[in-house]
Amino acid sequence: MDALLGNLPALREGLVVTLQLTLLAFAGAFVVGILVATARVSPVPVLRAAGTFYVETLQNIPLLVLLILAVFGLPEIGVQAELFTTAAMVIALYQAAYVAEALRSGINSVPAGQGEAARAMGLGFTGSLRHVVLPQALGTVVQPLGNIFIMLTMNTSLAAAVGVVELTAAANRVNLIEAQPIPIFVGAGVAYMLLSSVVGFVTGVLERKLAVAR
Amino acid sequence: MVEARRPGPSNAHQRMELVMVHAPALSRRRRAALTVVTVLSLAGVAACSGSGGSAAVPPGAPGDSGKKADDAFAKAPVAAASEILPGSTMEKIKKRGELIVGGSLDAPLLSQQNPVTGQVEGFDADLGKLLAKYIIGEPKVRIVNSASETREALLSNGTVDVVFQTYTITPERAKQVAFAGPYYTSGLAVAVKKGTTGIAKPEDLDGKTVIAGANTPAIPAIKKVAPNAKIVTFGSDPECVQALKQDRGVAYVQDQSLLVADGKTEPELQVVGEPFTTDPYGIGLKHGDDQMKKFVNDWLKKAQDAGLWQQAWKNSIGTVVQGDAPAPPAIGSVPGS
Repeated sequence: MDALLGNLPALREGLVVTLQLTLLAFAGAFVVGILVATARVSPVPVLRAAGTFYVETLQNIPLLVLLILAVFGLPEIGVQAELFTTAAMVIALYQAAYVAEALRSGINSVPAGQGEAARAMGLGFTGSLRHVVLPQALGTVVQPLGNIFIMLTMNTSLAAAVGVVELTAAANRVNLIEAQPIPIFVGAGVAYMLLSSVVGFVTGVLERKLAVAR
Repeated sequence: MVEARRPGPSNAHQRMELVMVHAPALSRRRRAALTVVTVLSLAGVAACSGSGGSAAVPPGAPGDSGKKADDAFAKAPVAAASEILPGSTMEKIKKRGELIVGGSLDAPLLSQQNPVTGQVEGFDADLGKLLAKYIIGEPKVRIVNSASETREALLSNGTVDVVFQTYTITPERAKQVAFAGPYYTSGLAVAVKKGTTGIAKPEDLDGKTVIAGANTPAIPAIKKVAPNAKIVTFGSDPECVQALKQDRGVAYVQDQSLLVADGKTEPELQVVGEPFTTDPYGIGLKHGDDQMKKFVNDWLKKAQDAGLWQQAWKNSIGTVVQGDAPAPPAIGSVPGS
């Protein structure tokens, strides 16, 4: 227990990095996810194909492989950024594929009549998506998005493998000296659990607020 | 859906059909085309990085050293039946017919799996085989890939019998596990990219970004000599070397023999100065198992007297470090052992 309490500052630093990574990556994933989902439901075949290609490629490659490719492979062709920046971007792009799929399922759940009514009122593709379809779609996908957020929080621990000192890496380093893996990793696990339960609570509140009356 | 449950001729085929359930809109042909494009683009990335790739296996004649090691195992001593006490850990291992070792599969020169033969080679690996021969009569070893965060637990719950994994003996660790040995003393050294100036001794790393292997004793050691250094860690030695070449840090701190081995394959790498730490490596055993500890210490003494320890060193670390095998450290000479 002392091993855990005596090293709280080091673990707190790791937790802050985990939080930064989670929030930045989710913001990125949300924006890219909306764009990809839009492409996947768009009437333009090329865009649809590109969206499908994006989702299938990113979902079918393990995140760890993507991280290692980006950190060690991209510098070989002259693209190099900070480790934290690289990790945040890769996680964002990876999770964007999942966000896009969740959004697409939400869009598909909006009855076709809604889109047709929007068109009848003179809204274009973007307009009907933005004002009519997406708001309703978002309401139904709060829970799946929350799940993706939790998945993303857990996935940030993979950044430890490419040199980012987030919570898991910090716990590892503390353990290297203390040799007390059980209290240290239970402590880290509890921190992850608290993070995801906050996310769960927030999605619960949001879901009630955004519930679409049908 | 029926199609998805049908057993396919191969895993890949099966997986493809499972994915198809998720995206029924895509025709099989389009999906196949998509997979091909993805694979091709990945292959392209791999080809780009091929030229700069570093060899994980240090140079040397693996076939040759393998043969030498076989000879060593043939000559290696076997414990007398009277030494295998009834009810002891040794007896349990002998009955099982194999020694379960907690170790690494990716540590060059020490314990690395040869991708061609599947054999684990190196100094730690050979000592494990010698111990197995001593207990069982055959060098039969199963290596459980362990990490610094799992070693203590694997020993205390009996998943592994011994740990041979550059396990530095420290008083903190000695509260959790028993250490036989020390069986080897090593030291950490600093490597930089050729042409780097301003780093002549470990203290010069203060305030700079330093690369180290995750879960290696280098992390606390750097913090001690250079408290303001920023440490970035990567999982394996080739990754650390790659990171140094890509300027992710100005220096790489690692076991000296490993750095020397890296220097042989990477001419850009330069080892600066002498080792700045002394790390006594111990053989991890279950805490409180005094019988086994005495038994392993006796074995280690015999292996050293018979020249087998020196032979194992020659076949591994000795392929990159010049000169004869060093004198082994005195058994029980370190606090915690």
